[in-house]
Amino acid sequence: MSSLVGFLSLVFAIGINFYLFLSGYIFKFQIQKFNLLIRFSSLLTLLSFFSLMYAYLVSDFSNYNVFQNSHSNKPLIYKISGTWGNHEGSMLLWLSILSIFSFFFSFTKNIDENFQRLTLIIQSLLHILFGLFIVFTSNPFLVNSILVNEGLGLNPILQDPGLAVHPPILYAGYVGYSIVFSIAIAGLFQDTDVEWLYVAKKWSLISWTFLTGGIALGSYWAYYELGWGGWWFWDPVENISLMPWIAGLALVHSLMMVRGEQAIKKWIIFLSILCFSLSVFGTFLVRSGILTSVHSFAADASRGIFILLIFFIVTGFGFLIFLLKEPQKSNALNLLFINKVSALVINNILMIIATLTILLGTIYPIIIEVLYNKRISVGGPYFNSTVIPIMIPGFLLMSIAPILSWQTNKIQNSKKYVLGFIVLSILVLIHSYFLDYNTWGFVGLLLGFWIILASIIAIFSTYKFKFTIKFFQIINPHIAHIGVGIAIVGITCSSVFQNELDFNLNEGDEFNVNGKTVLFEKIETTNQINFQALRGKFLFDIEKNQSKKIEAGKNYYPVSKMITSEAGILHQWNKDIYFILGDQKNNEWFVKVLINPFVSFIWLGVIIMMYSGLIAVSRR
Amino acid sequence: MKSSHFFKILNIAVLSFIFFTFKIYAIESIDERVKNLTLELRCMTCQNQSIYDSDAEFSNDIKKIVKQKLQEGESERDIKKFLVERYGEYILFRPLMNNYNVFLWIFPFILLIFGVFFVLIKTKRKKV
Repeated sequence: MSSLVGFLSLVFAIGINFYLFLSGYIFKFQIQKFNLLIRFSSLLTLLSFFSLMYAYLVSDFSNYNVFQNSHSNKPLIYKISGTWGNHEGSMLLWLSILSIFSFFFSFTKNIDENFQRLTLIIQSLLHILFGLFIVFTSNPFLVNSILVNEGLGLNPILQDPGLAVHPPILYAGYVGYSIVFSIAIAGLFQDTDVEWLYVAKKWSLISWTFLTGGIALGSYWAYYELGWGGWWFWDPVENISLMPWIAGLALVHSLMMVRGEQAIKKWIIFLSILCFSLSVFGTFLVRSGILTSVHSFAADASRGIFILLIFFIVTGFGFLIFLLKEPQKSNALNLLFINKVSALVINNILMIIATLTILLGTIYPIIIEVLYNKRISVGGPYFNSTVIPIMIPGFLLMSIAPILSWQTNKIQNSKKYVLGFIVLSILVLIHSYFLDYNTWGFVGLLLGFWIILASIIAIFSTYKFKFTIKFFQIINPHIAHIGVGIAIVGITCSSVFQNELDFNLNEGDEFNVNGKTVLFEKIETTNQINFQALRGKFLFDIEKNQSKKIEAGKNYYPVSKMITSEAGILHQWNKDIYFILGDQKNNEWFVKVLINPFVSFIWLGVIIMMYSGLIAVSRR
Repeated sequence: MKSSHFFKILNIAVLSFIFFTFKIYAIESIDERVKNLTLELRCMTCQNQSIYDSDAEFSNDIKKIVKQKLQEGESERDIKKFLVERYGEYILFRPLMNNYNVFLWIFPFILLIFGVFFVLIKTKRKKV
């Protein structure tokens, strides 16, 4: 029953969007009525989504999708997240978020009426494309042809609170760029003033903040769930989310230039189209299965080809209008060596190079496989030795960019910065002399701390501290950059200065980690609702009264016959101690302990960046 | 102080420190060499994990082979060649520089050169 409601409301919503799309050209009606219809179709799409969720909640196995991906003994939260834990449901989630963005955009004030209508018409077109994709190739409301009492279960690796909320947030970022895309296209048709650029800026900041959160959640999940102590692998799926993120960052920065009365509309529109194209392209790569192998793409080509078609329509249509309706010649750039404009231009160029390099590296194995039927890997080492060196000048520039002037190439208080840089360099040098020396470690620490230090100098020497919202808005660019600096320090330390210790232990053994004694108490197996847990119990620092308990082990999920590893992590502000329980051999358990210094700085940096994103939304 | 001076000093500082850092090149132990090499190899039986990070049987075997070969004095290059012959290029996370992959490797640097030229051409020579 709920499936029927869901399907009908989905189809009805697509129908309304068809009507709206056609009406924009054939018979125009009032904007109020138009907006009402947009909101109505959004609500219908959401109704469709929630009826799928309802089917999951009540374990309605007459729905084929629920039967395939759910099980009645799953905990409630995974019944909810199971809605988007599969291809069909996640595409419906994608469409629902698109509707939500349209819904909120229809409330935008102080924007030209026709401009708003045009933007929403383009949103309608996107709604139609993805809606038809769902109906024809990925319908989550299919009826199960056999009568069953039990479902097949959700992939255990997805049964994790972090990964339950990761897709909606990530998609909010991806799909948020749809509104930026629509605004940009509308801007090509109705290039009236610069007002729409401020609207575009708000929405692109919102999307970027969501995307940041989504990516961070994903890598945090990888960190504690995949159980190898790392959090970023340059895996194709990760790269796909990173590309719109970097392009979106370039977009946010070039939208800054609007305030400097240097509207570079052309470039902004190009980036807006690029961001959404990359989002759709990423969806295509993940959903078509082409990433695992070209052959798995061929196995179920209809979906892949349909998304590829959408991708070509979106990108082709976008860039075609871009070429046909080029905005009027904007002001010449006031590039000096070195002012704010040139810093922003250099930043944009570097970010685009990074994005394109990641794009090439991600699809290169596919190209080689198609052309030469040969499998190659393009992994971390490639990206580390291309993307990171390219970004380094950008990081250097970032430290002082916010205080550069729009007009001249003078820097206030430049002596302070030079002094700060020299002192910092000596400190980092001394540090690397006495501890493990590593070139990347040296460069990373110097960069990270320099960005933090320069931003702090900039804040204190340029502005007077006031505890007002306005003050926080003014220093916001510096705060964002401090976040990046903190994240760089965390990334450098946790990847370069990671320490690994291996042990073979019996229950009751004591061993030494980082100067602290750890007791391997016992091995315990328990039965949970839908899995069996094997846990090694450790007591960290037993000499102290408040020794910390750490549990590391594995889970066995009988429904899908899968084993997942569950790392035991002791979080401290300056390091994570990461326990992995291996296999038992000759009555001894293999235990791997990783000491990851300053991992918390990565997440702290990300939180600061997201905070800045939100503050920036509030500022015009 | 004018900003051009500032950037000269900044440049010199950065370059000299980078130069200095490459000067003190530490000698790595066998275990470190095993780590650095196996980090760049794909575990063929896992999903997107390096051999170093993985505890699969396949990975442990390769780790042993790599260590043994390093102790016998073989170079990283020889070991990679041996592994590629056995398992194919798919095992290398760092793609080889060969006819197939030359575009992959030079592409970012072509873009970088274009970018530098763009900025140089657009930058006004006149100081304000």
